[in-house]
Amino acid sequence: MDLVLQLLFTGIGIGAVYALVALGFVLIFRATNVVNFAQGEFSMVAAYLMVVFAVDLGWPYWLSFLLALGGMALLGVVFNLGVYYPLRHRTFLPVIIATIGASILMANSVLAIYGPQPQVLQGWFETPGIQLGPVYLDSQYLLIIAVTVALVIFNYWFFEKTLLGKKLQATSQDKEMASLLGISVSAMIMITFIYSAVLGGLAGILVAPVLFVSIQMGSTIALKAFAATIIGGFGDVAGAIIGGLALGVIETFGAAYISVPYKDGFAFLVLVAFLIFRPQGIFGERVAEKA
Amino acid sequence: MKLTRRDFAAGIAAGIAAPHIIGSAKAQGAATLKIGMCAPVTGPAAESGGYAIKGAKLALDAVNKAGGILGKQAELIIEDDQTTNPGIVLAFSKLAAESDIVAFLGSIRSTQVHAMAPDVLKLGKPVMIGGTDPNLTHMGNQWLFRFRPNDSYSGRVIADYGVNTLGKKKWAVLHSTDAFGTAGGKALSAALEKLGSPAVLDQGYANQSQDFTPVVLAIKQSGADILGSYFTFENDLGIFARQLRQLGVNIPWVGSPSIVNITALKLAGPALYNTFGVADYAEDSSEASKAFGKLYRDAVKVAPDNQSSWPYDAVTVLSAAINKAGSTDPTKIREAILATKKFPGAEGEYNFDQNGDGLHGYNIVKNDKGTITFDKHIEFND
Repeated sequence: MDLVLQLLFTGIGIGAVYALVALGFVLIFRATNVVNFAQGEFSMVAAYLMVVFAVDLGWPYWLSFLLALGGMALLGVVFNLGVYYPLRHRTFLPVIIATIGASILMANSVLAIYGPQPQVLQGWFETPGIQLGPVYLDSQYLLIIAVTVALVIFNYWFFEKTLLGKKLQATSQDKEMASLLGISVSAMIMITFIYSAVLGGLAGILVAPVLFVSIQMGSTIALKAFAATIIGGFGDVAGAIIGGLALGVIETFGAAYISVPYKDGFAFLVLVAFLIFRPQGIFGERVAEKA
Repeated sequence: MKLTRRDFAAGIAAGIAAPHIIGSAKAQGAATLKIGMCAPVTGPAAESGGYAIKGAKLALDAVNKAGGILGKQAELIIEDDQTTNPGIVLAFSKLAAESDIVAFLGSIRSTQVHAMAPDVLKLGKPVMIGGTDPNLTHMGNQWLFRFRPNDSYSGRVIADYGVNTLGKKKWAVLHSTDAFGTAGGKALSAALEKLGSPAVLDQGYANQSQDFTPVVLAIKQSGADILGSYFTFENDLGIFARQLRQLGVNIPWVGSPSIVNITALKLAGPALYNTFGVADYAEDSSEASKAFGKLYRDAVKVAPDNQSSWPYDAVTVLSAAINKAGSTDPTKIREAILATKKFPGAEGEYNFDQNGDGLHGYNIVKNDKGTITFDKHIEFND
């Protein structure tokens, strides 16, 4: 039982990281109908920004955190104007290719500046974790889980209860109709990119003390997060969260009880099963609702 | 003047033969003696490639100050291998085209040496290498000479130290599932079998794992009283080390060279305190190692490691061998390298066997609160 509880905690912790990045995938997909393959690199860039502010410059952690998120908001603006906006009237394929190109550019730019050696970023807390009976709770994973729960609540409130959230939803559901109702579609898409970049950045900053800061950190997480969005139902916010958590738990238990080397295989096995038997994911697809 | 068919044919023949004649003349009468070096100037290993070049240049400076090779000043011709297999094949072919280069330095990465090996065999000139896959010197390529102990020795040294020095019998063996980790894990398990302490857990893991909780729990449940490991990437090692300590596993740990790598020490911090590692270069292991350490620190201003020590030894041993052979004939150089015995190098004492392996043992070093200290050297003569 102790083993199960320990694995469950770790699985939920790592799953929460996938969920945060998956959320960014979903928001951009809903607003623009394209998959942003640079979402993982947003996490990586934010983690390196934290290294610049908190480690290299020695600024306070909270200030570095705010500056890194501010930097990500700016990156969201640049990304929208440089990658999406010029191609907005084209089909989804050129946009997707452009996001892949942007992700390569970001990874290699950071590589050129920082080199290939991974960097260390301290966590929020002095205490690395707490022992709760037989289970060790890593403080950084606890923080990640707490932030994921808070974001679920925030997203619900923001998208369902605020005017801006409803405008964003309207834009994602039907751009022409939203435009006819006086909503600035370009502004809504800009806000979506900013929010997704900040979300991706938040995931990167939170996970960096656990996985270290490296060029590959973004792509490794993004691959699983992408699988999580498909499992949860592409385009569904709740689906991304549930899909991420489920993936984290499945791969952790699969590694413990079946095979460690094939840990990644379990995640993708689940993905393949969903693609065959339930391609719309757990929560179905909003496209059907749009009609 | 009328151009006859005979004149035209003679012209073509002269055109084809001229570069060879000039090249040959250059080799005979060249002012300097050239050694080629394939090194990662760009790509993920560019940083360590820089250390390798500095190590080779330091050795060459010393050789030149002492009178050079065969009375000539020696020169290093460097080509970028881009840290890739196609990159090193291209780099080597460029160097091989220069007929006046008498010998070469290859890579520290076994996979790159495997990639260039067919061209080395075709060219038939000596190539010094740092790759540690045992097969490299056992696949019938007589032109490869190794300046680091191969992986079969690291497994034996880890097992020997754990069983005979630390007195531990219940081993958990953890290794990456890539070529390096699998070969290392097998070598360690085989050595433990021979010592009568077969591993109670043999666990592989995939590179770039984000979480090692299942692995740590498996080690805990196995009842192992010592851990032996082969990690390929330092970030995997860092994540595992932290989780191992967090989940309360504090058994002795003897690891492959990456456990004492500077990056691993930085990432894992206190989680690696009191662990042991095998290291081909340990600054305090001999007078020659100390001398290289001082020379390197003074010149480069960073701590020396195996990235710089093996090229240093390779250039030193090669230069001495050419001088001893009294010729740049590849076969004579080969014989002189293989005849090298009891040669004190930065990496250890070189005693070349007929396969081209110069070293037959490893140093054991300890992580003493973040400082790597030399413990003992274990050598095998069989």
